Parts: sequence; structure tokens; C-alpha cells
Amino acid sequence: MKMVRRVAFNLFAWSVVGLVAFPLIWMVITSVKPQFELFRIPPTFLPETVTFEHYWTLIYDTPFLKYMRNSLLIAFGTTLVVIVVATLGAHSLVRFRYPGRERLAQLVLFTYLLPSVVLVLPLYLLMVWVGIANSLFSLVVAYTTFALPYALWLLRSFMQGIPDDLEAAALVDGATRMEAFIDVILPQALPGIISTSLFTFILAWNEYLFALVLVNTDEARPLTTGVMNMLISSFNIEWSLLMAASVMMSLPLVIIFAFLSSYLTRGFGAGGVKG
Amino acid sequence: MATNPLDRRYALLGAVLIAPTILIFSAVIIYPLVSAIYLSLFTIFTPTLRGQWVGLGNYAELMASNEFWRSLANTFIWTVFTLTLQIVLGIAVALMLHQNMVFRSLARSLILFPYFVSTVVAVLVWRWLFNDLYGILNYLALISGLLQRPLDWLGSMPNAMISIVLVGAWKYFPFVVIAVLARLQSIPDQLYEAAKMDGAGPIARFFDVTLPQLKEVLVVVILLRAIWDFKEFDLIYLLTGGGPVISTQTLPLMVYKEAFGLNDMGRASAIAVSMMLVMLVFMVLYLRSAGRSEREGAR
Amino acid sequence: MSDIVFSGVRKAFGSAIALHGLDLTIRSGEFVSLLGPSGCGKTTTLRMLAGLEFPTQGTISIGSRVVNDVPPGKRDIAMVFQSYALYPHMSVAENIAYPLKKRGMPRAERETRVKAAAETLQLGALLQRKPRQLSGGQQQRVALGRALVRDPVAFLLDEPLSNLDAKLRAHMRAELIELHRSLGKTFVYVTHDQLEAMTMSDRIAVMNEGVLQQFATPKEVYEAPANTFVATFIGSPSMNMFEGALADGVFSHPALRVPVTPEASGHGSRLLLGVRPEDMTLGAGPLNGTIRVVEPSGHETIVLLDFAGTTVTVRAPPDMPLGIGSVLACDVKSSRLHLFDAVSGLRIAARFGAALPPA
Repeated sequence: MKMVRRVAFNLFAWSVVGLVAFPLIWMVITSVKPQFELFRIPPTFLPETVTFEHYWTLIYDTPFLKYMRNSLLIAFGTTLVVIVVATLGAHSLVRFRYPGRERLAQLVLFTYLLPSVVLVLPLYLLMVWVGIANSLFSLVVAYTTFALPYALWLLRSFMQGIPDDLEAAALVDGATRMEAFIDVILPQALPGIISTSLFTFILAWNEYLFALVLVNTDEARPLTTGVMNMLISSFNIEWSLLMAASVMMSLPLVIIFAFLSSYLTRGFGAGGVKG
Repeated sequence: MATNPLDRRYALLGAVLIAPTILIFSAVIIYPLVSAIYLSLFTIFTPTLRGQWVGLGNYAELMASNEFWRSLANTFIWTVFTLTLQIVLGIAVALMLHQNMVFRSLARSLILFPYFVSTVVAVLVWRWLFNDLYGILNYLALISGLLQRPLDWLGSMPNAMISIVLVGAWKYFPFVVIAVLARLQSIPDQLYEAAKMDGAGPIARFFDVTLPQLKEVLVVVILLRAIWDFKEFDLIYLLTGGGPVISTQTLPLMVYKEAFGLNDMGRASAIAVSMMLVMLVFMVLYLRSAGRSEREGAR
Repeated sequence: MSDIVFSGVRKAFGSAIALHGLDLTIRSGEFVSLLGPSGCGKTTTLRMLAGLEFPTQGTISIGSRVVNDVPPGKRDIAMVFQSYALYPHMSVAENIAYPLKKRGMPRAERETRVKAAAETLQLGALLQRKPRQLSGGQQQRVALGRALVRDPVAFLLDEPLSNLDAKLRAHMRAELIELHRSLGKTFVYVTHDQLEAMTMSDRIAVMNEGVLQQFATPKEVYEAPANTFVATFIGSPSMNMFEGALADGVFSHPALRVPVTPEASGHGSRLLLGVRPEDMTLGAGPLNGTIRVVEPSGHETIVLLDFAGTTVTVRAPPDMPLGIGSVLACDVKSSRLHLFDAVSGLRIAARFGAALPPA
């Protein structure tokens, strides 16, 4: 009886999981179907012929690789800048005493919740004015607006979990405050830093609005707006091609999920996640 | 304040470490924020960026504009429905994943995936699923007899609103799952055993033990998700573009349309600022009531 | 030599005052305990000595050097933390070597010193382990090793034994005493456990609410407590206090009278007569108490008596028949009584005569 209930529960639970995952599974299936097979009625569930032609088309006949390079540069650049700045900043917020520190922490929380749409117009004007509009760099700058408060908030809660005594012990043992930071705090914060880096990378990788407003040349366009452009600009929509692009776009995520998923759950625990 | 030289030196070091943060904050957050408020007092032609002072004129026009009120209403409708779905689905799936099931960590990864996938990817996939001629949803609905003829999921009302609400719920409920799951794992078993001894069935146990324990985390989750849903742009813009006409146009979409479709950055800024104010008001009200019920709960 | 001197040291955290003007001299080589309930300022005192907090006023000197603005690492002190504060990502050997490394000691010498320290503390077999692979007692030893490897002028210990179980604690107490004797260095030891303070220290600084109450040898603190706080804080069960007045050379309480000759005047008329539980004799005497509670613990029995509204704790032999509600005759050892001013709480030096029955 207990056995039956267990099996029934597992069947039920896995059908729920399957339902949630179905759109993504369907994406993969569609991406390896030949174009003509998509328009069959009734549709085939599993592809009759598996083809990778769409992936090749994507790589050779579209600017997809260029977009991907841009996305990688922007995401890595944003992550690097944000993590360096936020690690130092979070360390300062957690372990130093100076006037205005609490206020600052509150400000971080507030900006963490600020709508991008409020900032995007002035930022656009600012970029035009400074003369960096339409560049990869402009997107790195723009992405710090949401990635930095987020990373600060997350790293702050990670660092609050490191006992004060560790730094004190290092100081008594003869380290300066910066040495204590490097020798003791950083190694302890490393899992938190990795997890924050992953989230920052994903945020930057997935960003759409800033890329839409700030960049209108293929030289600087990331995958999000690039792929959307492919949808809008083509006369008849090639769904298999778009699904192949979607799969490729999700590859970094799959890698992170496969090898580093424990860092993702850790990040959730520490400070909630930006949407 | 710090009189000890060493203490002062430390404070200085702390200030140096936070300085890059403050610099970046000032340049890309504080300045644009102030500037957005300033811009909202002008009418600015986007292509030339020439502006003319109109004071509160933009706001006055907004108050009199049906489109603004319609968009505000749409924003609320979208937020309330998608948020409710996210919370309900999130709690249900978290409870499910909390049980013993085979390959639980794989299941958790699969559930989490929609949340991390790019909105662009999510939208492309759903638009393909929603496709009126060859989309699998219409096909399944037809053969199962749910529909008599193919449905236009995104091009007509109220379908378009329902569709974006559903996709929003699908994309964002994993956030609730993870937050709730983490909390569930920290509820002590004794509480359930005590409830069992008192004769509480599974449903009573959920309402009397689980839900009160989840309350705190739900307060935070609802606040965060409400804010993020309220300001959502990508998902709605990419799915319906606000259409048909303006039936699913929320405030962030209206900002974009004013700035780059109708070429008035000043008016767009005014909408953005108003939207932020609405958010702030609701945030304060929410935190007040959450704080009050917390205090009553403690009594 | 290298005496540690606090002079007029005050510490405030915002508007909360943690320490009101502390004057304290710890002689070189002395084992001094800072003893008091939590929040009494003892840890703040130690952390200021370590350089982890800064005095709001006053100076701290080690030897002839004022260390107020000397960074912790340059004060030539070592510290053992209550949490041990071992670096989790370093092995035991790396943990112990860290202070040497920060002093730029060459690798070869470092290794010899680490080995020697590990030898002293029987850590030899554990050198390559990580802290989380060690038991609480072993972690404690590593923390000690990290402190003694650098041969500092003073060791600061912040409740180092409070995370150990009772048996291990007794053992480590003996080991610390031994270590202090063999090193001959100054030990400053923070604790809330009077047993630790009494058994290990040369002198005890009893603190309460940011004020130093008494700084004296364990014997003196026990036998001549400076005030009612020290009197009741030291000793378990606590000293009993009878509140009464002095008239015609006799201290009177509704349940007892004692002839008293104060050695000085200037005290108020309301007085407290203090008697430790172990200084009351049972079975015969001029005083009568009603038995309220009996707590047998095997080797003795703690009895709570009611003396005309004053509750008094006494120790009784385990085989003594004690019926709740019955009346017990007792006496006090007149050579071991204490007298305090009821208002200021300060000790009044006095000589006492044999107790008399109540009037």
C-alpha cells in the first residue's frame, strides 16, 4: 500500500516537473527538426530526422557568433568589474566603522529594487554625451546599475557570515587589515564570491532592455537583442533556427547548472535573487 | 568622531574600500535618478534631444491621459495575477520537492531552469508554443477537445493578458520554490510530531504548522516579486509588445513607447517617475501592514 | 619589565558606556583573571589590550610603551579566542605558522618553531589536518599553539575553556596552570567562571557594569570581598545577607544578633551582615531557621532556611535528617563574618563576637 502511494506520488511529481520543463524540452526538439517537419499536421513529437543544419546555418550564415562574442565580453566584463568593486565594498560595509555606513547599506537595498526603466533614459543621454553610446563598454557601465547593488547585497550577507574573530585573530597574529582581508577573509568568502559571480554573469547575459536602448549596431549587440532582431527582421520566421539560437544561448546556463549548481542555491539562501 | 589615530586610519581605509562603489553609484544610479526627475519637467524630442521646459506639464497631461490610467491598471492586473500564480505554484511545488522523490536534485534543477533562462529564450519558446497554426498548444487543445478552433493566444483579448500572466508565472515561480524550500527544510520535525499527536491531519498540519512558519519568508518573497513583476519590461514587451493595441501595455512599456516610438523623452521620464512613486507608496503600505501583522502574531 | 598598565581607560560604544575609567596594573609574569558576569566590560578590556578596540579615553601601556595607537600585530601579545578563531582554510601547521610568517621569519626556522610548539601541546600527529577535522579540545590546543609559537610578552585568553565539556575543562585548567609556570609569561584571562579564576589566577580583577570592583588575590577576594557585589558573586552558593541596624555595639536582625566592633566609622546605619553557607554550623546554636527547601546532591545537602523572612542557604552533611517545615538550630562562625554598608555596598572592617539569640 505504501509502495503504491510512493509510486503514485513519484509519477505525479515527475509529471509536474515534466510540465514545467516541457517548453524547454520542446525547444531542444524543435531545434533539431528539419524546417519542413515543423509544419506537419499532426506535429511529430520526436523528430523523424535529427538534423543539426540549423546550428550550422546559425554559425555560418548569421551574425550569431558575433553576438555571442559580444555577450561573452559584456558578461565577463560586467562580472569582473562588479565583483572586484563589490567585494571591496562589501568588506568595507561589514568590517569597518565610519559615519554613514548604515545609511549606505540601506541605499544599496533601495537601488537593488530600482526599476531599470527609470534609469535607462538618463543613461542613454549620458552615454551619448560622454560619447560611448553604441559600444560594448556602454553596456558594461549600464549593467553595473543593477549588478552592483545586487552583488553588494549578496556579498554583504555572505561576509556577515564570516566570524569577526577570524579577522581579529589575523590582526593579533601580525597582519595588517588588508593582509587579514587577503589571507583570511577572501578565502572564506570565496564560495560566496563564486556564487555572486555566477548570478552576476547570468544577469548580464540575460539583460535585454539596456541592450535594446543603448546599442543599435551589430558590432556591439549582445545575443538577447541580436536574436530578437533575427526574429523581427526575417520575412518568414524560421522557428527551428530560432530554437537552435535559444539552445545555444542557454548553453552557459546548462554548464553552470551541471557543474556549479550548489553555488546557485547558496546564493539564493544568502540574499534572494534579482528577477 | 574617531579620536584614536589607529581607529581613524582604519576608518579611512574603510572609506577607500567603499569609494569605488560610491563613485559608480553616483555616476550610474544617483545621477540618472535625479536626472530622470529633472527630465520629466521638459518635453524632449528624442532624435535631436532638444528640450523645452514645461514644469509639471507632463504630469498634468498624464493625469488626464486615459492611456496612462489604462497602463497603470494593466500593470496592476498583470502583477496581481502573475504574482498570485507564482506564489501558489511556488508553495505547491516546494512542498512537492520537499517530499522524498526519485532524482530529486535533477527535478529541482529542471524546475529552476525557467528562472535562469533568458527572457528572450523563454519568449521565443512560448511564442512557438503559442503559434496559431503550428503551435503544439493549439494542436493539443484541439485534439483533446478543449478548443473547437485554434486560439489566437497573443493577438486578442483577454487571451493576451492571460498568456503573459501564465508565461510570467512559469518563468518566475521557481524563485518562490527555492525560497520556500529552504525554509521548509529548517522547520523542526518536532512541530509536525506534536501536531500529529494532537490529532491534526495533513491539511490541518499545513495550515497550522507549515504556513505560519513560512509567513516570514513569504512576506519577503512577495515584496521582492511584486516589485520585480511591477517593473517587468522584457517579458511583456517581447510577447505582445503591449498589444493588441494597448491591452497589455504596462507602465514600463509605455515609458519605452513614449521615448522611442513617440519620441518624447520628457514625457517618458514623467511616466517612469510616476511609476516609481506608485511602487514606493505600495512598498511602504505593504511593509506597514506586514509589520503590523507580525506584531499581532507575536502577541 | 613589561607590566601592563591601564590608566583611566574609558570606553563608550555610542551612548552606551562599556567601561568607566579603569585603572589596573598587571605585573610582568602574573596570571590575572578578569572575572564578571556578561556585559561587565571584561572582554572589552581584553580587546582594548589586544588593540581590537580603542579606548575612548585614557592610556594602555605594555612595558614602557603606550600602545593606544599601536596596531594589534605590533603589540607583542598573543590571543586565544573563545571561538578559537582558527583559519578554516589552513592546516594546523599553517595556522600555527601564520604569526611567524607575518613576522617574516624564514621557512626553515618557522618549521622548527611549529614543531616545537606542536610537541609541547601534543599536536604532532595532527599538523596536516584542517581545523574542522579536529575535536573541540584539539582545536583549543591549536589555538594555544598559535599563541605560544611566537613567544610574546603576554597571552590574552578570552574564555578559552567555555566551549569544552566539564571533564576536558578541568584537564585544560591544570594544563594552563602548568603552561603559565613553565613559560613565566603574563597571562590575562577573561572568564565568567569563578572556579577558573579562583584556581588559576595570581590575582583576580572582579568587574561589574564597566567598573572594577576589586583587584586582589583569590584568597583575599574570597575572604575579604570589597563590596556586596564581590561578596555575592564569588562563592557558590552565594553569601547570605542579613539586613539590620547597629545599636550599642550589637548588629540586630529579627532572627539574630551579633556583637560588632567596626574598625572605622563613617558608614550608614543600615548594614548587611554576610555569612557564607559553609560558615554556618547546624544542629545547635542560638538561631532558629525554618526548613523550606532541601536539595541533596550526594556529598552534601543544600538547605534553604527561613530566618524571619530572610532566606538563607546552608550546607548540611548528607546524612542529616531534615524535615521540611521543621525548625533547625544553627550558629555562625564569628571569625568569618562580613559587614557591609547597605547603601553603598562597601565592606566595613570589623571584629565580631559570638552570635546571640534574637531579642
